[in-house]
Amino acid sequence: MTLLFGLYVLIWPALTLGVLLLICRAVARDRREAKKDHRTLV
Amino acid sequence: MNSSSLYQFSTWTVILLMVAFYGGTYLLTLGIRKKKEDADAFMVSNHRVGFGIGAASMTATWIWAASFYAAATSGYTYGVSGPIHYGLWGALMILFIYPFGRRFRKLAPNAHTLGELIHARHGSSSQLILALSNLLGSIISLMVNFTAAGALVSVLSPLSFQAGVIIAGVGVLLYTLWSGFRASVLTDFAQLVALMAIAVVIIPAVFFSMGGPTELVAGLDNLTPEQADFFSMDAILNQGAPFFVAVLAYAIGNQTISQRLFAVNEDHIKPTFLTATVGYGAIVIGLGMIGLMALTLGVEPLNGDMNNLIPQMVSSYLPPVFIAAFFILVIGSLSSTADSDLSALSAIMMADVYGKNIARGKADPRRMLLVGRLTMIVATMIGIVFASFSLDILVMLVFVGALWGAIVFPVIASCFWSRVTNAAFTTSVLVAMVAFCAARFEWLPMTGITGLGFELLASIGGGIIIALMVFGFLGRVAGALAGLAAFVAMLVFATGFLREYTVLLASLTAYGTSTLVCVAMSLASRERFDFDCIAERVGNYDAADAAPVADEHPRKPAPAGLATQR
Repeated sequence: MTLLFGLYVLIWPALTLGVLLLICRAVARDRREAKKDHRTLV
Repeated sequence: MNSSSLYQFSTWTVILLMVAFYGGTYLLTLGIRKKKEDADAFMVSNHRVGFGIGAASMTATWIWAASFYAAATSGYTYGVSGPIHYGLWGALMILFIYPFGRRFRKLAPNAHTLGELIHARHGSSSQLILALSNLLGSIISLMVNFTAAGALVSVLSPLSFQAGVIIAGVGVLLYTLWSGFRASVLTDFAQLVALMAIAVVIIPAVFFSMGGPTELVAGLDNLTPEQADFFSMDAILNQGAPFFVAVLAYAIGNQTISQRLFAVNEDHIKPTFLTATVGYGAIVIGLGMIGLMALTLGVEPLNGDMNNLIPQMVSSYLPPVFIAAFFILVIGSLSSTADSDLSALSAIMMADVYGKNIARGKADPRRMLLVGRLTMIVATMIGIVFASFSLDILVMLVFVGALWGAIVFPVIASCFWSRVTNAAFTTSVLVAMVAFCAARFEWLPMTGITGLGFELLASIGGGIIIALMVFGFLGRVAGALAGLAAFVAMLVFATGFLREYTVLLASLTAYGTSTLVCVAMSLASRERFDFDCIAERVGNYDAADAAPVADEHPRKPAPAGLATQR
């Protein structure tokens, strides 16, 4: 029960961290591509 | 407000934090600023915003200050399942719109607002109904976010509520005014990174400071059986169900979403919206867990105000640096939504009002920019005034909610079914609004045959919500079957019972009535619309950009009737 509730609370910040890393990597890639194509990111 | 047990920042610390936040955000926008901005980019960037920036922007926009407070309140009120019943349905609003978004984009690759698409499909009256619903929604959102800023500042510092409202309003306007949507999406990314990083630290920090899982499990004894039940009917009926009904309405009625649907790279719509769904759900449900922690510890919200729960928990268990981080978390979330609302409002006034109804196809891009920037200034002033005087917007909220529900079916059907006419769209929305008012304000006694009639309409509404959701992902046949099953289930379980839940009955009646009228009038019509016309009628305003962008999206043959987007 303790483990289950611990997981239930902590899974959300872990997921948030995963999405944060995914987005940061994607933005870095977008930035490289934009630079290569001589255009702005937005 | 008595905030004696909350940590108090000095006036200068709060001013410094806000100046650092808004100053930093402003400096960020200087990097993308063009001396001569173009109108299209001001509304939707270049229609090719990448996956990373797009996902970050969608997530940051959808998370507003109320998300945290409401999720924590839900956790505190409904217990174990409470945060899920707030965050999950909010997240699904992003998820369920993307299949329709792909269709919108396919029909009008160069659109800036959903209203433009509807204008090309039907004409002014349908478009203006949609634009009005978007306009009111964004004004309400702006006001709520400025109110949250005022409340936060007044709770955590000696500064007044009004000072917080004004600093937030001016700060957001300052960095959004020149570059519009481009500034909004870029700053959304920076704000989301800060927001997520803080959430990742704050949730476990509070959790372990309060004693971790052992303490949480020990505190479950403080919960009622309903609160301790993960499948609590109380939580489902009072928190989950009303949100579920609103899933499609919120997404269709919100220009901040359509703006992003038209701005991101067409190939990236699906990953962008899927990532935003997970991102939104994780942050909001995670912060909602702080409400559950408070409940298990037996914490009473200060002055009985649920909005104090998170600040109270952070104040009680963490050092001041975390409270400053929480302050930035809330300011970041409300600012990212407010700047998106300003961009949405300006796009509606530029494209839907000026471009389509005043200039009538001869829009001057420079004048459009002026209209957009003036809109931002006026909207900020309205938001500040409404928030400062805490004006009662309940009636406005009720009508906007009804309008959003009433337009869901006509908007979606107009994009898939060639027989829907302008008269069917407009009449169905107006009749649905009247039916909604009759149920919501009990103009008619909800008894006997009248009550049964409204429950029948509401059952159609329930069926159509499920049908559209399933149709978006699985196509026509699955959608029709699911809708029929939901309609029958509603007839069996809701008859004689739903009339007791006025708000739910009225919302579902709006869906059901607009569907019924729209379908009946469309079936009676002999018109067949050629969907290819939409791409021809909706273009860019800056002539230089129009040709190359249009060439990137060759037109496809028109579907014969109800088309599937898969």
